[in-house]
Amino acid sequence: MASRLSRIWPTLYRARLSSALGSRCVSQTPKSSASGAAVASDLQPVSPAAHDSHAHAEVSPFEKNPDFHGFHHHDSFVDEWNMRLAFFFGISVAIVVGGTFIHYLPDHGMRQWARREAERLIKQREAEGLPLMTDNYYDPSTIVLPSSGEE
Amino acid sequence: MLKVLIPTIMLFPTIWLTSPKWLWTTTTAHSLLIASISLTWLKWTSETGWTSSNMYLAKGPLLTPLLVLTCWLLPLMILASQNHINPEPISRERLYITLLALLQTFLIMAFGATEIIMFYIMFEATLIPTLIIITRWGNQTERLNAGTYFLFYTLAGSLPLLVALLLLQQSTGTLSMLVLQYSQPLQLNSWGHMFWWAGCLIAFLVKMPLYGVHLWLPKAHVEAPVAGSMVLAAVLLKLGGYGMMRMMVMLDPLSKELAYPFIILALWGIIMTGSICLRQTDLKSLIAYSSVSHMGLVAGGILIQTPWGFSGAIILMIAHGLVSSALFCLANTAYERTHSRTMILARGLQVIFPLTAVWWFIANLANLALPPLPNLMGELMIITTLFNWSPWTILLTGLGTLITAGYSLYMFLMSQRGPTPNHIMGLQPFHTREHLLMTLHLIPVILLVTKPELMWGWCY
Repeated sequence: MASRLSRIWPTLYRARLSSALGSRCVSQTPKSSASGAAVASDLQPVSPAAHDSHAHAEVSPFEKNPDFHGFHHHDSFVDEWNMRLAFFFGISVAIVVGGTFIHYLPDHGMRQWARREAERLIKQREAEGLPLMTDNYYDPSTIVLPSSGEE
Repeated sequence: MLKVLIPTIMLFPTIWLTSPKWLWTTTTAHSLLIASISLTWLKWTSETGWTSSNMYLAKGPLLTPLLVLTCWLLPLMILASQNHINPEPISRERLYITLLALLQTFLIMAFGATEIIMFYIMFEATLIPTLIIITRWGNQTERLNAGTYFLFYTLAGSLPLLVALLLLQQSTGTLSMLVLQYSQPLQLNSWGHMFWWAGCLIAFLVKMPLYGVHLWLPKAHVEAPVAGSMVLAAVLLKLGGYGMMRMMVMLDPLSKELAYPFIILALWGIIMTGSICLRQTDLKSLIAYSSVSHMGLVAGGILIQTPWGFSGAIILMIAHGLVSSALFCLANTAYERTHSRTMILARGLQVIFPLTAVWWFIANLANLALPPLPNLMGELMIITTLFNWSPWTILLTGLGTLITAGYSLYMFLMSQRGPTPNHIMGLQPFHTREHLLMTLHLIPVILLVTKPELMWGWCY
C-alpha cells in the first residue's frame, strides 16, 4: 500500500500543484481601476517562477525533471551522476565493503576464543565428573619450596 | 592516522579546484572514501590502550569509535546541506564545504591527540568554523545571540582549563597523555587543588553539556543550519565526553568526593530537560533538549569512573551521535518544505510521506532506547553502574528513561500521526538524496547491534 501511494503521490502532487499554482500568481489588476493611481502590482511584476532563498521555485523541480533526485536542480545529468556516485561510495563501498572488513576483523584480545574455550572446558569437565574449577591453579605437588632452615 | 588526515587535508584543493557543476559530487565521493578508509582504524593491532606510530597522534579502542563517527559524519553533512546551499554563489558554496572540512580536520586531530595541549588547541579550534557556520548560514536573527552564547560559554569554561593544564605541566613536567597515565597520583588536599580539579573538568562539562551550563546548546542547535546542527549534536558534544574521560585518569583521589554534585546535577538534568522536551513547540528545540538529556546520562557515567560507566558512556555517545544527527536531518526536511520549525504546522506527515515515516519511526525508537539498539545498551550500563554507586539514583534514571520514551513518542505522534492539515498537501515529495541520508545514518546504528564490541572501549 505504501508503494502504491509513493507511486501515485508524485502525479497527485503535480496535479495539485498545477491547480494550486494558478491561484498563487499575483493578480494584475487592470489599469482602469477606480483610483487611477499606480497599483503596486504594476510597479513590481512578479514572475511565476520566483525563487525564494532556498531556490524552491514556485515551480517544483519535478515539473522539469520527473526523475529529480534532490542533488542538482537544473542539470539532470549531474543530478543523476551525483546520485549514482553517492549511492556507490556510500552504500556499496562504505557500508558493504567496510562492513565486510569489520566482520572479518580478527578476534581482538582473544575474547571470543576465551568464551569458546570456557564452554568447551565446562562441557569436558562435566562429562568427566570433575569440578568446574579447583582452588589451586597449579598442582601443589609440583611446587618445590626451599626448606626453611637453609638460606 | 596519516592515511585519513592527508586525504582530509587534500579535500581543500578538491573543493576549490573542482568545476562548479561537479563540486558536490566530488566532495561527497571524496569524503565517503575518507570515511571508508577510516573504518580500517577499527583493526586494533595491539592489546594496549593506545596504538601510535608517532608521538603526537594515536588511536585505540577508546578513541577509534569517535574518530570513525567524525569521519562518517562529513559526507552526511555535505549530503544534508546540498539543497539549501545550492542557490548561493559558487565561492560561498566552496567556503561552506571548506568550513565543514576544516572542522573535520580539527576534530580528527583533537580525538587522536596524545598531548593534552594539542587536544586543547584543537578543542578550541573547532569553535571557529562552527561559529562561522552558525552565524553566517543560520536562518533567523537569533543566530547572532546563539553564536555569542555558544562561543562564550565554551570559552569561559576552557580558560580555567588552560590555567589548570599549565599548572599540571609545572608540577609533573609533562603533558603527554602517554606519560601522565603512569604518573603518581597527585597530592590533592587543599582548596587550591580543588579549584584545579574543577578547572580541569569545567570546560568539558560545559561542552557535554551538564545541566546547569547547558543554555548554549538549545540556541546553537536550533539556529544552526542542518550541517551545523548535525556536527554539533553528533561530534562536538562528544569532544567534551572524551576530554573528561582522558582527564579523569589524573584527577583520581579527589574525584571520589568532588564528583558528587556534578553527578547529581547531571541526573537531575536528565529529568528536567526531558520534561522541557514534553512541552516544546519547536521541533529542533525538542531534539536539542533531548541531546542534553542523553548527555547528562553520559556525564554521570563518566564521573562514576567505573569500567561499566566508561563503556556505557562510549556506547551511548556513538549511538546518540548517529541518532540525534538523523533526527536533525529529518527535522530539516520538514523545515525545508514548510519553512517553519513549529511542530503543529508539519503534522500528519505519514499519509503523504510513508517511507519517511519509517525513518521517523526508527529514529524515534532509537532515541527512546529500544532494545537491541546500542542506545539501550549504553543507557543500561550507565544506569547499572549508577545503581551500584548509590541505589537511590534508580529513581532519577528510571524516571528519566520514562520521560525519554514519552517525548520521543510525542515527537513521532505529533509529526507523523493525526489528520494531515490542508496546507501540508502541496509539499514536494521526498528526494532520493534525503532517503540516502537517512539510510546512511540508520544502517550503521542497526549494524552496530551485531558487533557492539567495536564500541566497548578499553574497559571490556
